[in-house]
Amino acid sequence: MKKTILASALALSFAAGSAIPASIASGDILIKNGTVLTVTKGILARGDVLILGGVIKQVGENIPAPPGVKVVDASGKYVLPGIIDSHTHIALAGTNEGSGAITPEADVGTVINADDTGILTALSGGVTMVHTMHGSANPIGGPNVVLKMKWGRPSEELIVKEAFRTLKFALGENAKQSGRTITAGQTQRYPATRMGINAIIRREFLKARDYMEQWDRYNKEKALKNPPKNLVPPRKDLRLEVLAETLRGNMVARCHSYLATETLEFMNLAKELGFKVACFEHAWEAYKIADELAREKIGISVFADSWAYKMEAAEGIAYNAGYCAKKGVLVSINSDSGERIRRLFNEAAKTMKYGGLSEEEALKLITINPAIQLGVDKIVGSLEPGKQGDVAIFSEHPMSAYTRCDMTIIEGRVYFDRDQILREREEAAKRAAAPKKTGGAQ
Amino acid sequence: MKSPKNRYLLFVLAALTFLAAILTADVGPTYAVRNCRIVSMAGPVVEKGTIVIRDGLVESLGPADKIKLPDDAEVIEAEGLTAYPGLISAHTNLFIEIPQGPAEPSPFEFESASQQPQEDKYPPGPGLMVYDQLKPKRTAMESFHKAGVTAVLVAPARGIFQGQSVLLSLNGEKLEPMVIKNPFALHINFTTERRAYPSSLMGTIAHIRQSFMDAEYYAARKAQYEKLLIGMKRPEYDPRLEALVPFVRDKRPVVFQCNNLEDVKRALKIIDEFKLNALLSGANEAWRVVDVLKNTAVPLLITLDFRPPMTSQYTSQGEELRKKAEAEIYPANAAALAKAGLRFALTSFGLADGAAFTKNVQAAIRAGLSRDEAIRALTLQPARTLGLDRRLGTLEPGKIANVVLTRGELFEEKTQAVKVFVDGLLFNYEEKSR
Repeated sequence: MKKTILASALALSFAAGSAIPASIASGDILIKNGTVLTVTKGILARGDVLILGGVIKQVGENIPAPPGVKVVDASGKYVLPGIIDSHTHIALAGTNEGSGAITPEADVGTVINADDTGILTALSGGVTMVHTMHGSANPIGGPNVVLKMKWGRPSEELIVKEAFRTLKFALGENAKQSGRTITAGQTQRYPATRMGINAIIRREFLKARDYMEQWDRYNKEKALKNPPKNLVPPRKDLRLEVLAETLRGNMVARCHSYLATETLEFMNLAKELGFKVACFEHAWEAYKIADELAREKIGISVFADSWAYKMEAAEGIAYNAGYCAKKGVLVSINSDSGERIRRLFNEAAKTMKYGGLSEEEALKLITINPAIQLGVDKIVGSLEPGKQGDVAIFSEHPMSAYTRCDMTIIEGRVYFDRDQILREREEAAKRAAAPKKTGGAQ
Repeated sequence: MKSPKNRYLLFVLAALTFLAAILTADVGPTYAVRNCRIVSMAGPVVEKGTIVIRDGLVESLGPADKIKLPDDAEVIEAEGLTAYPGLISAHTNLFIEIPQGPAEPSPFEFESASQQPQEDKYPPGPGLMVYDQLKPKRTAMESFHKAGVTAVLVAPARGIFQGQSVLLSLNGEKLEPMVIKNPFALHINFTTERRAYPSSLMGTIAHIRQSFMDAEYYAARKAQYEKLLIGMKRPEYDPRLEALVPFVRDKRPVVFQCNNLEDVKRALKIIDEFKLNALLSGANEAWRVVDVLKNTAVPLLITLDFRPPMTSQYTSQGEELRKKAEAEIYPANAAALAKAGLRFALTSFGLADGAAFTKNVQAAIRAGLSRDEAIRALTLQPARTLGLDRRLGTLEPGKIANVVLTRGELFEEKTQAVKVFVDGLLFNYEEKSR
């Protein structure tokens, strides 16, 4: 592991603005004298957060620094839990298995790319955790994965094992491929309509149910004292295995969905087949069915505004997130983008103007709410003793239009330090301007 | 007394018999290379020695005063030259000639959804023999000879289950006499199919796993059926799975092409899951996973292609940074592996020709790999990894006479290979003025 860090550090040394901070080693840090926004336990006007061994030990006032622990002065700044993006596609080598409509075997967890500089972009906006997802090309896409933004660490260390195992579904225009131009010799993929999408999802789950029964029958016969010699096991099918896991309740659905009608249809379908829906993605018409979503305890992960970019988004409204939150729906604001991810706090703040949320309520949309949606609210999403030490330090209140992220900490380790990066950038510029000595690599 | 006529007939008969003997036995020439420096890789360096080559094999070698020159040998004066075992490149796409496929799509093609891939149409893959695609070319062979390379593993170049490779000794323009072993291994690449399943890397990983699962299942059903024959339905014949069975059942070798550090980890997972007898090839980011590699016994065929992979942070930030990484970071891969105590073979995989290969060996040496380690990684090590070490990899009596004679030490800046023996056949290369 040491070698990997060394190699990454070496590699990074000439990528301007992407340096590995010095204090990555210990996981111990004391953040002092900031305005601490705990999200779940109120606000400390002048407070400290002590993280030891990667875990929040104490949140309070005048916490003395244990010997050897790095101290960060946050005077005049805001200390908040690391931001969580409930829906993005960064740090992956590929997003869609576009060749077929049903591809639950295509697991994005197998193609994590820890070298994606999108991780640095996320860190620069205070993001410490993302739910990085299969794309929306297929009615049933594939399993998604929850990652921490540990830039420079090996991909397997990024995975958050405590999170829900989630499976991506998609309804509407992307999945029925309305935008696809069919050239000569090509055929239109089934399904090409919303009703077809509903039908194919049902068909595949019925297959999975049958598959599970086949295995049950086989296992029963195999357990007999003298199992028949001609007993043949069912063929193991990676595609159906994932659907079976979903039917067993070991995986939850995350469904890309725009129209209120198809969203309700999917809820009915899930009930009929017996799997759990955790969250609808984008859900531009959620405001029309907020009561139903709240009653079924299904969350939504949405943009703050920027609707009407296609027909099925035409009836989106900027009040969607704020309105649904007030109706008791578990709402998160997502980026769905490697760029918007660095300003999720600005996006969340829009719900104050449109929807009338308070600063505290708006902040929840990018911290504790996505944590609940991902099943990780016991370990992250707020600043409480016992939770993991994922912290962002902002120059102003995160819901202010003038704020910026100055430092991002994951499990007590500094992964983004704006001052350090600016310093290094200046030094690099100076070096570049200075007359060259003898050339060549070391 | 025999009549003159009889004598004449006897003479003709004898001549014909002699000619027939030559034609059927196909005896190769005999050479005595004398007064050269010998780096045999099997013992100490001989400063002034002789190598006797007879009929494709090394007959004897040693200090010049200890080796008798055979009467029938053509003597080659090699004063000032150094003899090395011919180099082995354990992964190439040499000589492959396949009909031109459709143009490469842009990487955005699937995103823009302009192409409709076909679902679940598995290409035949594993059963393909690259041997059937080869058209040897003299210029390509000579380019490798000049770089000191006399034996190559030729792997198929397309698809996920690419097909099966062949081991060649580069002894001419005819394919059959070149073959050392065919087929050698099944080759798998972490790539995607064009307009077919799978079109994404995650689909590819599932596809590889499902294929091995299916092959195991198929083999088990066949075995069960052979045992019973009655009372069980006959398993349906599947040529694709038939081709895969030897790799899951008989542990024939499988080579995984690893295009970045993640592919190394992906391959190791699959190798472990299906208990494959596997090798890793490519892996120009292997230095980033030395700790992982130290915990496996999977042999490494490390490419000298220093281009950063598409996933690299140096590829996504502009051409200047990419070039800098290619020149300054990736050449140090082999040196880092050697430093970590890992054994590996070096290959020319991905490089255009022999000249590019030599240039990149030199770059790896400048980046910290010792010259001895480099030579070892191109002789002894690949011979062992490919299971050829009783036949190739060192200069020893009885081994295949693949010998490279250079003026200057191998891999030094102005060194040239001037005489190359492959299977005991001599190829002369003119010396450029130094």
